[in-house]
Amino acid sequence: MNEFAAWLAGTSLSNTIAANLWVIPLVQSIHIVAIAVVFVSLFVVVLRIWGWAGRDQSLSATSDRFMPFIWGALAVLVITGVMMVIGEPARELISFSFWAKMALLGIGILTVFGFQRHLAGHREQWETTLVAQPSTRLLAALTLLVWLGVIVMGRLIAWDARIWGSLSPQLVG
Amino acid sequence: MDLMAIAQGIEASGIATAIRDSIYAGPIINVFHVIGVVLVFGTISIVDLRLLGFPGNGRSLSLVTHDLLKWTWIGFAVAAVTGVLMFTANATTFYINTEFRLKLVALALAGINMFIYELITARHADLWDKDVPTPTAAKLAGALSLIFWVAVIFLGRWIGYTKGFNFDIPVELDLENLF
Repeated sequence: MNEFAAWLAGTSLSNTIAANLWVIPLVQSIHIVAIAVVFVSLFVVVLRIWGWAGRDQSLSATSDRFMPFIWGALAVLVITGVMMVIGEPARELISFSFWAKMALLGIGILTVFGFQRHLAGHREQWETTLVAQPSTRLLAALTLLVWLGVIVMGRLIAWDARIWGSLSPQLVG
Repeated sequence: MDLMAIAQGIEASGIATAIRDSIYAGPIINVFHVIGVVLVFGTISIVDLRLLGFPGNGRSLSLVTHDLLKWTWIGFAVAAVTGVLMFTANATTFYINTEFRLKLVALALAGINMFIYELITARHADLWDKDVPTPTAAKLAGALSLIFWVAVIFLGRWIGYTKGFNFDIPVELDLENLF
C-alpha cells in the first residue's frame, strides 16, 4: 500500500491536484453535499419503515422516490472520493479511518442493494404495511448506523494518528 | 465595541482551553458538526425541491414539511452548538477569517429567506398545498435556500484551508522509509 501511495503521489494527475490548492476543498465540499443527499435519502426511507414519516405513502413509493438519489449521489461520492485519493494518496490510503470507512461503506452499499432487491420482490406486501415488523425496523436502524459510521470515519481521516494512536499506520516508523 | 478583544476573551476562557488541550474534543466536535450539517442540508433540500415543484406537486407540502423540518431543526441545533464550540476554541482565528465571516453572512441570508417565506409567502400555503403549482415567491424561496445552504457548506469547508493552522494538512509521510 505504501508503494502504491508513493507511486500515486508521483503521478502527474496527483501533482496537478496537489498544486492547485482550491481543488481539494472544492471536491471535499461537493463530497459533503452528496453525503447529505445519500444519508438523508436513506434516513427518510428508514423513517418510513418505522412509520415516523411518509405514512400517507407506501414504502415502495417512498423507496422509488429516494433510491435514485441514493445511487446518483453515491456515484458523485465515488468520483469525488477517488479524486481525493489521487490528490492526497498518503493522507487517505495510509490511514486507519479511511479503511474502516471503506469496510463500513461496503456493508452499507450491500445492505441498501439487498433492501432494494427485497422490496422489488415483495411490493404488494409493502403496499399495505404501515409500520414494519420489529426485526425489519432494527435492520433499518442498524443500516443507518453503518452509514453514520461512514461519515464519522470519513471525517476522522483528518486526525487519524491523533484519534487511533498505534492503530494508525501513520505512526509506523 | 472591540470585537477582537471579545474574541480574545472567549479564546482565553476555560472551556476554550479545555477543548484545545484535549486530544479527542476537537475531532469529536467536528464529527458532530458534519452530522448536523448533513441533517440540515439533506432535509431542507427535500423541502426546497418540493417548493420548486420537484418531483411534482402530488404530495401535500404540509406533509413534506411536517415530516422533515423537525429533523432540520435537530440538525441545526447540533451544528450550532458544535459550531459555537469550534469557534470558542480558536475565536480570534475564526474572527479574522474571511471565509468564516462570509459563512455567517450566508447563514444570515438563509435565515432571512426562511423568515420571509414562513411569515409572508406561506400565509396562503393551504391554497397550493397539493396538486397546484407553487407560486413564484415559494419557488424563489426554495431556490435561494438551496443556494445559501450550499454556500454555507462550501465556505465552511474553505475555513479549514484558510485559517492558518490546519487540521487537514496530511501528516508528511516519508514514504520511502516507512519500513
